[in-house]
Amino acid sequence: MVKKKEHFKAVVDKLVELKDTSELMIDLAYSSLLLNSHHLAEEVEGLEERVDELHTEFEQLVLSSGFKPEEAKDFLGLIRLGVATEQIADAGAEIAEVVLRGLEPHPILKAAIEEAEETVVRVQVSLNSPLVGKTIRQAQIHEETGMWVLAIRRGNVWIRPRSSTSIQQDDILIASGYAEGEEDLENLASPKELENG
Amino acid sequence: MVKLGKIEYKPVPVRDLLIEIKDLSELMIDLAYSAALFDSKALAEEVLELEERVDTLAYLLDMNVMIAVRDAEDAEHLVGVSAVASAADKISDAAADIAILVIKDIGIHPIVRQVFEKVAEHLIRVEINPESILAGHSLDELELAARIGVDIIAIRRNKEWIINPKEVEKLDRNDVLIARGAPHGIDELEGLARGTISELEE
Repeated sequence: MVKKKEHFKAVVDKLVELKDTSELMIDLAYSSLLLNSHHLAEEVEGLEERVDELHTEFEQLVLSSGFKPEEAKDFLGLIRLGVATEQIADAGAEIAEVVLRGLEPHPILKAAIEEAEETVVRVQVSLNSPLVGKTIRQAQIHEETGMWVLAIRRGNVWIRPRSSTSIQQDDILIASGYAEGEEDLENLASPKELENG
Repeated sequence: MVKLGKIEYKPVPVRDLLIEIKDLSELMIDLAYSAALFDSKALAEEVLELEERVDTLAYLLDMNVMIAVRDAEDAEHLVGVSAVASAADKISDAAADIAILVIKDIGIHPIVRQVFEKVAEHLIRVEINPESILAGHSLDELELAARIGVDIIAIRRNKEWIINPKEVEKLDRNDVLIARGAPHGIDELEGLARGTISELEE
């Protein structure tokens, strides 16, 4: 029974990761469009591959649950959840593709893009950063730099920042905001060592 | 079955449409999953409401394109916007598919639900009753995050959705709130909205 619980814990963990990753993809896909950022669009493509992997792993976990024939109905919902999530991820990738093909600034889109004088930056958090160990709420990144953290990449795991998410050394922060905030964010994430220090 | 009607053109800027579709799509995914994993038909119904809204916005996006295209060059430039409208529609359909699992009672194993309840913050939908003390107050007056650990992530007022409401937003009777938080805080919010709890602790 304990083993079974552990197995289900693994199923749920995988499902939560699938959900978070697909939600993040949608966020980044639309952001790539609104900010006309190739960079973000490429991240979305990378995430789509990640979702495909996660989906396969999730299906394998569900199918190896050792359920009895009469329990099959209880697992159908999970399989369908996975399928729907992959469809969402595919649609996210389609949006990113529009950006990667190169959006010519037609008047109606030009208005959409020009209003956004924002940029997207990626910064890595170094050991000496005051951000290490703080939650997003405590870190006050927006207040300090005017930049919004869109996503956190930790190794090959992508995290959607919530106010309770804590920041770790080596995390890559992907943030958007006005260009002026870029340098501030870089200094916050990886402060330059003092000359003699 | 949702009754489908003709969608009337409104001159809404493309950027505004895209931003609204983005916010609504993310909310839909979040709600659809929570509906499935907390087995909540009320949340599932909200997902279907949102689907209708997103579909309408996707149509408006397409109409904007149609009106703007005069020649082949325009078409080349704007076909991307149509692609986005179609992707938006796919996303909302997929989220609605998840909601329909709940409405049709297509099972999710109870143990999965039990485990999920432990790992995830709860999400609920609750309507503000006329006698609720929440009605008539703004979010910064109520300070729900600080007091009971609950974040209001969206408000539905009839057909209008307010996503990530600002602090100055005032709650009204009959507003539908979508909120996230720990189980204890969620229970308290439910009581406050229903009017069974009539005091907010300091």
